[in-house]
Amino acid sequence: MADYTKYTKQEMQAYAIAKSIKENQIVIVGTGLPLIGASLAKRAVCPSCHPIVESGLMDCSPVEVPRSVGDNRFMAHCAVQWPNVRFVGFEANEWLHDEDRLIAFIGGAQIDPYGNVNSTCIFGKGDYVKPQTRFTGSGGANGIATFCNTVIMMQHQKRRFMDHVDYITSCGWMDGPGGRERAGLPGNRGPQMVVTDLGIMKFDEETKRMYLAYYYPFSSPEMVQENTGFEIDITRAELMEGPDPEIIRLIREEIDPGQAFIKVPKEK
Amino acid sequence: MANKVMSLHDAVEKYVQDNDVLCFGGFTTNRKPYAAVYEILRQGKTGFVGWSGPAGGDWDMLIGEGRIRAYINCYTANSGYTNVARRFRAAIEKGELVYEDYSQDVLMLQLHAASLGLPYLPVRMMQGSGLVKFWGISEEQRRTMEGVDNLKCVEIENPLEPGEKLLAVPVPKLDCAIIHVQQASPDGTCIIEGDEFHDIDIAIAAKRTIVTCEEIVSDEYIRRDPTKTRIFGECVNAVVRAPYGAWPSQCYNYYDDDDKALKEYNLASMYLDEEDAKAQLQKAADKAAKAAAAKPEDEKLAAASEKAAQAAKDAADGTKVPETFKDYLQKYVYGCKDQDDLLNVLGGARLMNLKNEPHLGYSTRH
Repeated sequence: MADYTKYTKQEMQAYAIAKSIKENQIVIVGTGLPLIGASLAKRAVCPSCHPIVESGLMDCSPVEVPRSVGDNRFMAHCAVQWPNVRFVGFEANEWLHDEDRLIAFIGGAQIDPYGNVNSTCIFGKGDYVKPQTRFTGSGGANGIATFCNTVIMMQHQKRRFMDHVDYITSCGWMDGPGGRERAGLPGNRGPQMVVTDLGIMKFDEETKRMYLAYYYPFSSPEMVQENTGFEIDITRAELMEGPDPEIIRLIREEIDPGQAFIKVPKEK
Repeated sequence: MANKVMSLHDAVEKYVQDNDVLCFGGFTTNRKPYAAVYEILRQGKTGFVGWSGPAGGDWDMLIGEGRIRAYINCYTANSGYTNVARRFRAAIEKGELVYEDYSQDVLMLQLHAASLGLPYLPVRMMQGSGLVKFWGISEEQRRTMEGVDNLKCVEIENPLEPGEKLLAVPVPKLDCAIIHVQQASPDGTCIIEGDEFHDIDIAIAAKRTIVTCEEIVSDEYIRRDPTKTRIFGECVNAVVRAPYGAWPSQCYNYYDDDDKALKEYNLASMYLDEEDAKAQLQKAADKAAKAAAAKPEDEKLAAASEKAAQAAKDAADGTKVPETFKDYLQKYVYGCKDQDDLLNVLGGARLMNLKNEPHLGYSTRH
């Protein structure tokens, strides 16, 4: 009999993602952890949500875990197969109509205290034209971060949480209150949360700076501060309980049985 | 009606020209016109300005082979197999690729604007980000480059809503578009099943459009149900029958991606060629040795160092050199004279196992 009472950091992160999705929300997912989290939400935590992907596939309910946002696994099991430009128009119109239904998950390599995210490159000793490390680039993230409230997925490491990122691929709250408006971006949209393997960060309503909202049963506020490259308020932090065994069973047996995105350690 | 059917060789020879502004249809690992990419590689065509869209191995191969003059990009990866396309990444980190980054949503709108014949495009996206701040190709350079717009973007005020900040971006002027579709008829009419992506946009926008397809059907047959046809034949210059022409990417209702090939490419594309493999393995061995020496009591580091040293030695003396990017291309591109030859290399059983399972929309047999 498999043991579902123990869970990994990644499974906790997927659960935290699922918990962040609210009733009837339209959820923009990519592949990887956010997809597992959204699948979990759709099946157990919040079945009324509607997952959509940036390629233009709307209300997806894949049977097998897709590898890319344009995967046939999404395409064959969705409500509408729109081209990407319709997706862009839809997210922009949601903002123009002042709807508050969209929530989007994006990832990144570096993040600053205001939730500005870099997924383009790390300069190192070089610069943008010849960087030390190059990533994929924007993909859909910049457009999503323009028009939608976002949840940012990160690995919690000091070198990733820094005062200034080399390159802002997806705008967060810029330099604080009013920053988005000054840049020409919708001011009533922006990052809501950062979900990491150590906890959940939110942004202060006044200052727009990141603070620790929740830590996990296996982490602590001190651990979060140690692994954050800037001063972070940990005084408001609460403990988030871990998932029930049934949730872990769902992830392992039904959502990602091939362990495409969540590796399960072998039982001893 | 016009008969535009020709061989892949002739279509690429006639309609793809050196230095073209070039764009492909498809989305990362879905309906990418790989057969045409292989033929471009075989014919040695080069000097392209690429508007890549959501790119995968298609553009990575052209970059690795040095065929790109300027790469206008928003995302390059075989998603789910390679996090960042490896020849793309290596070329940028070595400073060997002239490139520009856009937001994917903006780039797709630019291609759409091209299909609409718009003069330029105002957007809200990209503002405040590095996408505006950093230019891969300077204005000075741009003015000297044929086929590259003079400016990446311009900050403007909405002329109809004074005070609103916007960004103006150029509309691409495509010389050549290549798309792979499920069915086409000799006059160029196309049926695309599943998501069209930006394929229709670029087929309209480009001066020359090549369509490769799984099946050629008659002009009469394709008109039996015009709700299914998506591209007007007059936008198309060449129609090429290329079964499995999107391999190793997917083709909706026809076949799934070939995970074996995409995994093979992921590993092979780590090394440009034999010399690069040897150098990289030696570098890895030196690094592992240094790490092990710093912590002599750590058994894991010692074992890793030994393993890395062995791999470097085996590569150096030729005992075991890992497959490289060049080897992969030799096997599936240069070593095959055409698409039929490639399908024979892959073999019947392998291709049959990729076939779509109608009740699922993908394959579970590979």
